[in-house]
Amino acid sequence: MQSSILVITEHWNGQVDGITYQMLAKGRQLADSLGIGLAALVLGYRLDGVIAALQEKGMDVLLVVDHAQLAQAGAEVQASVIAEAVRQMQPRLVLIGYSLVGMELAPAIAAKLGAPVMTNCVNAEIIDGAAVVTRPLFDGTLHAKIALEDKGPPLVAVQRGATPSVQLPPRTASVQPVSVDMGSIPVRSEVLEVIEEPVSDVDIAKADIIVSVGRGIGDKEKIPMIEELAQALGGLMACSRPLVDLGWLPRERQVGASGKSVSPKLYVACGISGASQHLSGMSDSRMIVAINKDPNAPIFQVAHYGVVADLFEIVPALTEEAKKAKGEVAS
Amino acid sequence: MKIVVCCKGVPGTVADVKIAPGGKAVQYQGQFLTMNECDEYALEEAIALKRAHGGEVTVLTMGSITTQDILYLALAKGADKAIRIDAQIQDSQAAGTVLAAALRKLEYDLVLTGTQSRDTLSGLAGIATAERLEMPFAFAVTQVEVDGDKTIKIRKELGGGRFADVRLPLPALLCVQTGIQPLTYVPPARMLRARQQALRSFSLSDLGLAEQQIVPQGYHFLNIFPPERTGQAQFLEGSAGEVAAALLGKIKEVL
Ligand SMILES: Cc1cc2nc3c(=O)[nH]c(=O)nc-3n(C[C@H](O)[C@H](O)[C@H](O)COP(=O)(O)OP(=O)(O)OC[C@H]3O[C@@H](n4cnc5c(N)ncnc54)[C@H](O)[C@@H]3O)c2cc1C
Ligand SMILES: Nc1ncnc2c1ncn2[C@@H]1O[C@H](COP(=O)(O)O)[C@@H](O)[C@H]1O
Repeated sequence: MQSSILVITEHWNGQVDGITYQMLAKGRQLADSLGIGLAALVLGYRLDGVIAALQEKGMDVLLVVDHAQLAQAGAEVQASVIAEAVRQMQPRLVLIGYSLVGMELAPAIAAKLGAPVMTNCVNAEIIDGAAVVTRPLFDGTLHAKIALEDKGPPLVAVQRGATPSVQLPPRTASVQPVSVDMGSIPVRSEVLEVIEEPVSDVDIAKADIIVSVGRGIGDKEKIPMIEELAQALGGLMACSRPLVDLGWLPRERQVGASGKSVSPKLYVACGISGASQHLSGMSDSRMIVAINKDPNAPIFQVAHYGVVADLFEIVPALTEEAKKAKGEVAS
Repeated sequence: MKIVVCCKGVPGTVADVKIAPGGKAVQYQGQFLTMNECDEYALEEAIALKRAHGGEVTVLTMGSITTQDILYLALAKGADKAIRIDAQIQDSQAAGTVLAAALRKLEYDLVLTGTQSRDTLSGLAGIATAERLEMPFAFAVTQVEVDGDKTIKIRKELGGGRFADVRLPLPALLCVQTGIQPLTYVPPARMLRARQQALRSFSLSDLGLAEQQIVPQGYHFLNIFPPERTGQAQFLEGSAGEVAAALLGKIKEVL
């Protein structure tokens, strides 16, 4: 299908990853503004279930590469297969979710195609017939709008949660196999095993209230202050990745792309900048409160209530208020 | 084992950010050049591998003369050799082209990079380098195990609490994730000693690269601006007590 938007889908254990539906919604929007079709590509082995899950989800064409060699293929092989499908199809633009899987695939696909690639995007739109993406720079304290020239086809990798996964009007896509010569693709690395993290005692994903702490805390000794607020509010404490990297808190507390996805009723972010990999794990929370010294911190883009201040002033005051309120309830 | 680690000097804070004429780059005043966070973790991993298996660690950076500071830091931490490519290239795909050209001049079994740099937030240069050199690669690596003369076994993150164990033939390139090793502290005396060591430098022409090979292709910047707020955020002001009371009022509404 000449000149369509192509979405690269992601699935695991027969389940389509939610980020794929976000890309399909974004893809449909781009395709409609260009007046072209929407296609999706799925690769793997024994894909009947995945195809059934995807087929009605709003794309015009579902391209399929189903091959035993793709059962446990590494990123290199997947990137080669995707690049080959893109070469055959020549879409106008390729959309891929900026999940950890997409982070590894996008640069490799682009390199194989010699195409430009924009990663970590928060938006993609069509302005005067040209694709324009918005992406963060400098720790997310600035955003850039970047126009993609008609070289390519360009790859655009969009952050999880940056675009809502609206239900597209159902239609039945035509399923088309793509023929790829698997024998010509070099297989250098070998995936030995995929490991699922064991279930932990503390499950922040189940909490209704989360108070989350970031590098802004500055000192391990200060963490109990956050724990105290979490307890006063009747919730659990969580954290951003650097605190786990530093060995200050266990991994089971980490929120984000490489940690847990949470969507509590209340998420209080203390001293967290709001990098894309953090936001993708918590931006669905019902109410987000952010306390940060930096008014340009990206966390304020998703916050419902923001406090631009020193957390060491606000957190103890909030703990006190929460304790007071509990006391009132008790009396 | 010969290991090359790609470490980038990144600004701690930036000011006066604007688009360069032509739209292909961003101009800014950068302050406090530091070693990119995950690159520092990659360096620690390289030094740990050398300690366990012998060999040599070379640190490679591309940047202006001021990036020498991060090379001295790497030497103080235990790298054996340090090389600077004298070029300032922001585009991460182009950076991959340049790093690959430098690696062609070096001997290595393993190349380590970080996952992403804090200024570009691209997460591209490592894999772009590997692809240029037709080397196997892995992204978001959290463990490295030498399991033979010619292979390594790594663990990498897949997200959603999943990991994959992968065996790669050498030479290979790994994009290392933060937290892989504890960061070591460098005493000032060791830093002073490192500053006595010689640094090697490559120009682009030493690497056989012409300017037009490294011009960013396929895009141009339109605009740079502070992140747009979606409009939903309501900012609370006042004394800590006032803010706390107001916040608790809002919080009670959802609970
Ligand atoms: C592949 C990959 C996967 C990743 N996965 C995750 C993940 O799952 N989860 C995750 O969180 N990150 C993840 N990251 C890391 C992510 O990119 C960021 O580096 C990280 O989220 C930053 O954490 P932070 O906000 O705590 O720290 P920083 O970015 O350093 O922010 C600290 C913030 O604290 C503020 N601050 C400082 N002092 C104070 C004070 N006294 N009062 C108030 N505010 C203060 C500062 O203004 C700043 O905004 C991943 C990165 C990669 C490349
Ligand atoms: N100028 C540079 N010098 C050395 N290494 C670099 C440079 N640019 C990128 N890298 C490496 O590539 C990784 C990813 O960078 P980026 O694609 O810009 O996010 C970094 O973590 C570094 O290890």
